[in-house]
Amino acid sequence: MTKTALIIIVFLAAVACGILIGPTSLDAQILQLRIWRVVLGIFAGGVLAFCGCLLQGLFGNPLVEPYTLGSASGAALGASIGILVFGTINPFLAFLGSLGTGFFVYTVARIEGGLLRDRLILAGVVMSFLCSSLVMIIMVMGGRELYEILYLLMGYLGVIINDSNRIMIIALMIVSLGLVAFLYRFHRELDVISQGTETAAGLGINIQNFSLVIFFSSALLIGLTVSIVGAIGFVGLIIPHVAKLIFGPKHRYNLGASLVLGATFLLIADTISRIITVYELPVGVVTSLVGVPFFIYLYKK
Amino acid sequence: MLPSRHSIIFAAVLLVFAFLTCAQEKKGNDYRVVSLSPAMTEILFSLGAGSKLVGVTTFCDFPAETKKIAKVGDFSNPSVERIVGLKPDLVIVNLPEQGRIKRELDKLNIRTFVSSPASLAEMYEEISELGAAIAVQSAADSLISYMKSNLKPVVPAKRKKVYIEISPRPLVTVGSTTFLNSLIHDAGGTNIFGDLNRAYPVVTQESVIARDPEIILVLHPERITGRTGWQNIEAMQNNLVYDDLDPDHFMRPGPRLIQGFNKLCEILK
Repeated sequence: MTKTALIIIVFLAAVACGILIGPTSLDAQILQLRIWRVVLGIFAGGVLAFCGCLLQGLFGNPLVEPYTLGSASGAALGASIGILVFGTINPFLAFLGSLGTGFFVYTVARIEGGLLRDRLILAGVVMSFLCSSLVMIIMVMGGRELYEILYLLMGYLGVIINDSNRIMIIALMIVSLGLVAFLYRFHRELDVISQGTETAAGLGINIQNFSLVIFFSSALLIGLTVSIVGAIGFVGLIIPHVAKLIFGPKHRYNLGASLVLGATFLLIADTISRIITVYELPVGVVTSLVGVPFFIYLYKK
Repeated sequence: MLPSRHSIIFAAVLLVFAFLTCAQEKKGNDYRVVSLSPAMTEILFSLGAGSKLVGVTTFCDFPAETKKIAKVGDFSNPSVERIVGLKPDLVIVNLPEQGRIKRELDKLNIRTFVSSPASLAEMYEEISELGAAIAVQSAADSLISYMKSNLKPVVPAKRKKVYIEISPRPLVTVGSTTFLNSLIHDAGGTNIFGDLNRAYPVVTQESVIARDPEIILVLHPERITGRTGWQNIEAMQNNLVYDDLDPDHFMRPGPRLIQGFNKLCEILK
């Protein structure tokens, strides 16, 4: 259990860094802002890595993540449409975008009695391209909304919290936590399925229904996250691998570890993004800048 | 050896012909102008040269006559093909935003007029140059003197710290290279992000709070009340947040600046 203690200590250290380190000296106001930032960081990092772990387990493919399945891009497209039409990010549209791409990918990959895993990734990547093109069209058409969409695509935690969105963000986070708890209960089924679908079918798991539930719940989670902090990349792909490296293949452990490590990683990335420049640097930029060298080191070791 | 009579006559004919074409060019005076700059479009209309405009952007929405002029695209993405199709004698471009368009027009040997004023002085200079370029010099001179008499820089005892918000998501403000930065200074204030050497930097909420502005100008349609962490900013405390301003009166270096400038002086008094 020392590993668990270790990642929790690192997590707490990241929280402390997130609150204490920054360009300005800490006072009551700055503290409020930093606490919100840290809460958003924990939420987004945790949820994205959790979804990544879940989907990698479900489809037995190390490449699967919110981005490669098209959900994140779909959510970003939905949110961009919201920005263009209503002037603000609409969580419902983001969710709809995420679900819409999810539905398409699922339909393409579905065969009698299961899902074709290779086709799933292919369909996901294809949909990502489509969504990116559509977002580009919106960016070109919008003009003035360009900045907002750009930051939505990279993701940032400096979101302004005010009277009109505070309650909604809290509500969305509570719904997400509920969904995470709901999905965590399937860790045993995931263990079996990641061994191979035949075994799972042999043990009486209805793979079709099970995949459907996991797939669309995670699409919902990703849609909710993107609507709050934007489409932060990299966390969902890499953190589950790190979790598996540390805790092995059992989903009971690595789902939880992904949650904690994802939060830790995003907090560290955000702290870095805050101190290296006076400007608001999208945290999605920093996640890959920091994450790639770390990942290479980890796998070469 | 003296030149032959024939060659003298030939030279004389050439000279006369040259004069004639020159005079004709001047007399015709029907320049076809495409303006990609909303501010310059307004300036052209107040110079009485609105009829020379054959193309504008979708952002050029003032005065009302601009509605009838052909659109060549929006401010950031005008279509070179549409511009060329209008056979303009002069295209007014904004730098740095339309650098790409300018390069393409240069390649096609289409004359461009560059507008990128960073201060009132530079704006006057541009109006004068534009007046010369399309032969409305006297109108340009009178517009300049009219604007000069209405835009008198203020030098207060103490400059108030101003925060200008262009967009809430992400937080976009104006940096040192913008016209608005210099306008705030002329009206007697100082931009809290005037030290950032960018046009429109994206800043953090923390830096706004740390720089504690005395006045906040909101140049987007959203309200900024009720933000977490912003309560103790001096401008919020004293309720000196102005969110009913028309951004075009401040962001467009043209005749309507007078309204914006007077409003600014009133706010900063």
